[in-house]
Amino acid sequence: MVEGVVEWDAGELGCGELVLELRSRLAPMNPGELFRLVALDPGAPADIPAWCRMTGHTLVSTQHPVYLIQRKED
Amino acid sequence: MANKFCVSLTHGKDNTDKATVGFVVANAAVGSGKETLVFLSVEGVRLAQKGFADNIHEEGFAPLRELMENFAKAGGIIYVCSPCFKKRKLDENNLVAGASIVGGAKLVEFLSDGSPCVSY
Repeated sequence: MVEGVVEWDAGELGCGELVLELRSRLAPMNPGELFRLVALDPGAPADIPAWCRMTGHTLVSTQHPVYLIQRKED
Repeated sequence: MANKFCVSLTHGKDNTDKATVGFVVANAAVGSGKETLVFLSVEGVRLAQKGFADNIHEEGFAPLRELMENFAKAGGIIYVCSPCFKKRKLDENNLVAGASIVGGAKLVEFLSDGSPCVSY
């Protein structure tokens, strides 16, 4: 647990279930806050960057299965 | 990039794999901030009846009922093909959350803004 960083271990969750849950977890966060995601799904390396491009969140770093996402401005 | 997304789903218990994956992809779309429509037609219209999807659970996926509930909670909309629904004599007073019975014009209107559509 890193102070100031929201963390979520998504385990094997993938595809639509993963991004729908991601959406609901990032929505209540403050703009600029960091979210550390652990996603084991083999589709995550392609999906998470695409999801960030579509939604406007910033993918700060990626080293599968760990993704650091910065919550977008409202 | 279009801000809408449509999933056309034509299967229910005749192909539970397709029915499930259709809603998984729809959840990916709504979870990505797209105004998302699931268009149920042919055998897919049975999914619009409360309770019909309750015992559909494909290995490796969440139960279909849960996928559908999550889709509706996230703001996803479900259009149900009116003639397909009527042909099967289903109950319009027993629809799942987010579902409404429509004719083809509503689908055409939704797609006319340049929405992509995938079919299962």
